[in-house]
Amino acid sequence: MPAIINFLTRRGAALLATWRIWRATFGLAGKVVVAALSPAVYNSATRTVVMKQIYFTAVQILVPFTLFAALLSFVLIQIVVGTAAEYGLSDYALEMSVRLLVLEVLPLVTALFVALRSGSAINTEVALMRINNELEALEDSGVDTLRLEFMPRVIGGMLSVLSLTAITSVLALVLAYLAVYGAQPWSLPDFARVMGKVFDGAILTGILLKSLAFGLAVTVIPVAEGLATPKMLFMAPISVLRGMVRLFFVLMFIEVASLAFKYI
Amino acid sequence: MERAPVPPAPPVPRAPLIKNLEFKIGLLLTLTVLLGAAFIAYTLYARGAFQVSHKLILTAEDVEGVSVGMPISFSGFPIGKVSRLHLMEDGKVRIELAIPKEDARWLRKSSVFTLEKALVGGAKIKAHTTNLQDPPLEDGEARPLITGDATKDIPVLIAKVKSILENVDAMTTAGAPINQTLGHVETVTGRMAGDYGLLQGVMGSPEKAQKVVQALDKANTLLTSLNGVSLKVDGVLAKTDSRLFGQDGVMDQAQGAIRNVNALLGDVRESLKKADTILANAQTASADVTKITGNVAEATTDMARLRLEIDDSMRKVNHLINEINKKWPFAREVEIKTP
Repeated sequence: MPAIINFLTRRGAALLATWRIWRATFGLAGKVVVAALSPAVYNSATRTVVMKQIYFTAVQILVPFTLFAALLSFVLIQIVVGTAAEYGLSDYALEMSVRLLVLEVLPLVTALFVALRSGSAINTEVALMRINNELEALEDSGVDTLRLEFMPRVIGGMLSVLSLTAITSVLALVLAYLAVYGAQPWSLPDFARVMGKVFDGAILTGILLKSLAFGLAVTVIPVAEGLATPKMLFMAPISVLRGMVRLFFVLMFIEVASLAFKYI
Repeated sequence: MERAPVPPAPPVPRAPLIKNLEFKIGLLLTLTVLLGAAFIAYTLYARGAFQVSHKLILTAEDVEGVSVGMPISFSGFPIGKVSRLHLMEDGKVRIELAIPKEDARWLRKSSVFTLEKALVGGAKIKAHTTNLQDPPLEDGEARPLITGDATKDIPVLIAKVKSILENVDAMTTAGAPINQTLGHVETVTGRMAGDYGLLQGVMGSPEKAQKVVQALDKANTLLTSLNGVSLKVDGVLAKTDSRLFGQDGVMDQAQGAIRNVNALLGDVRESLKKADTILANAQTASADVTKITGNVAEATTDMARLRLEIDDSMRKVNHLINEINKKWPFAREVEIKTP
């Protein structure tokens, strides 16, 4: 009997902890969005943090990441175009590769990349700040940590995801044109027709919203997870691990939700 | 000793952690905004937001596979797209097409519009214009859409294939005629593998085949003796040939006889001429009978002699002809007529 009670207690505690961390995450996201929308929070200090965040998240990795995305796009386009030609569906090759790359693969790959590079770093940083009581110290000295520390990171992360997605997507469109039509300008009207068919208002809004959601997730979840770290040094790696797993699930959930919204 | 006051260290200008941070971030964000704005403008252009388009209305019974945004093609080139689809009161479908102004020239009053459905891939609306000199199609004009559906024939096709398969099934079941035939073929080919090969296959057993072989042997012997016979016949024929056509053969003799006949006929002709003259003389003579009664007896003697001569000649000729007939048995109807 006590074993069962013990088990139930532990399960209940775990469930409550999960509930708490999700609530904290959504609460933080809401607060950050509200803060980001109020112009008063933007001063030189927040701007510097935003810029640094963008620098480390996007500018530093821009060239290698773009090259990698170009390679991935090229290979996927070749596969799609080749397979479509094999089944006599060449008419649909361009549309399919654009839908696959620009709408799905590239935003997701970008978000995963930023999550691995910046999300983990943010999670570690916040967890260590919390373990070392730095956050309390800042709060005590009257610094609004949400506005000065977290919100700029979230803004930077979202802008970075948007930038990287935009650049790699445009590159993928250029590569798709080259793969389907070759290096000549006479097929531009045809290309425009397919683009017009794929990108209607709903799809464009969808890409923007999805990228923003990805950007929000890759920064808010690590911050929330870092803030929830128990004040013990050995908990820092566990916090990062949990944050990353949760982030992965959230990214996948956003992707599946966007797919379901578009095609079901 | 008082030390000179240490001058305060000049403030070291702290090198910024990252060079040109603002510039780089500005560049990235500007690039992103530009790309985004340009892309939105491009999609607006691609969706035809900046182009003037003609409206064309097609009516069809069934528009399965047609969707808004579907291209309409002319000679394989997309020249417009479906902008709206809706059902009309009479149950037909009204398809509104948006044709860009510069592509509207391909559509004329005589243009025909078809909806084609393939087995794989979506449906296609095609425009066919045979005469580009016809007056152009007006904005908002309505035309029927002719539908042709390859998939309609599939049920019929499947029914046929089914009956064929049933036949095949009946043919392949145990005890089916074709199976028995194949069994027989197997028996025959099995026999063919024996000593007498194909012959044994046809005859059924080696003994019967052996009989056939013996019969063939006999036939061979027979043929050999026949060969001897034909050789002999050949000799006989050669002899006949020499007898008939050789030197002093039957032919030679016949030729000689014919020459004789010719000479005889000449004689006969001469004798007849003489007879003519005599008869003429007789005429003149008879006119003056009394005058020449004395000569009559003489003349009659002459006549009698002439008659004898002619008879003699005729006999000779007849005899000759009989002779020829004996030797040359072909021309039967030989007749010499006396005048």
